[in-house]
Amino acid sequence: MSVYTKTHQGAQVHHEEDRGHELPYATQVKANRLGLWLFFISEFFLFGALLITRFYLWNEPGIGQTRPELSQELGLITTSILLLSSYFVYRGETAVTYGDQKAFTRSFMGAALLGLLFFVGVVVMEWNLFGISLELFGIEWFGHLKPSDGVYGGVFYMMTGMHALHVISGVGLLLVAWYRGRKGDYTPERHWGVEGIALYWHYVDVIWIFFYPALYLIGKPV
Amino acid sequence: MDVQKKSALRQGNIVIGVLAILTIVEFFIAIELDSVVLLFIVALIKAALVVQFFMHVYRLWREENH
Repeated sequence: MSVYTKTHQGAQVHHEEDRGHELPYATQVKANRLGLWLFFISEFFLFGALLITRFYLWNEPGIGQTRPELSQELGLITTSILLLSSYFVYRGETAVTYGDQKAFTRSFMGAALLGLLFFVGVVVMEWNLFGISLELFGIEWFGHLKPSDGVYGGVFYMMTGMHALHVISGVGLLLVAWYRGRKGDYTPERHWGVEGIALYWHYVDVIWIFFYPALYLIGKPV
Repeated sequence: MDVQKKSALRQGNIVIGVLAILTIVEFFIAIELDSVVLLFIVALIKAALVVQFFMHVYRLWREENH
């Protein structure tokens, strides 16, 4: 670089300008947050469009809003699991903020396992990948709706599938944070990686907060 | 520091408690009242709680380490 800067004065100036653009960590984190929230807004257009599709296509003339017959208990259980995983992520983020690495890794692993359980609840049980029929304690544990079941199957699989894709990628991110936490990569002063992943996970939870009533509760079952 | 941590954890406990209650409430609204408007309001309250207390949306306007 020294030879280059001696012979090209302009290049030297350029390098110095680059260093001048390095932001303080707090400013960089603020910019990261803004970027992530803008990403959430862009994603909201996708999920919002899916919600609008549901309300448009599941509206029957003369009846009003309808919905497919789904296991109410299974919907409530999977929703509770996802809410609980968000709580674990909150605890993990709080722990790393106050330097408790052990509680952080424990909480994030718990959240990842709950996220995986939610994924299994939707993809394996609600979608009924293996064609199982099981009724236990008065609860129907496996769904019967197929993607080919008209607008009900199409919309249901599109909404849950898109959400499940975000859940499984979130589980992967939680495990990355857990692994890096075990290596001691995060400190109370510097843990944007944890905060960003926590934000993403909570966002996935917020989407389900709207999807759950839209899929399971609103409208007359048909 | 320990007091602040305990306070933050207590806040999380309260929020998850309220979220659990609201989830049960919306379940019963669907069964008993079948009101789309009420269900939408409950969903909005739940989302607002998560955005405010779990996602710390107010940090967007702050400059702090993490």
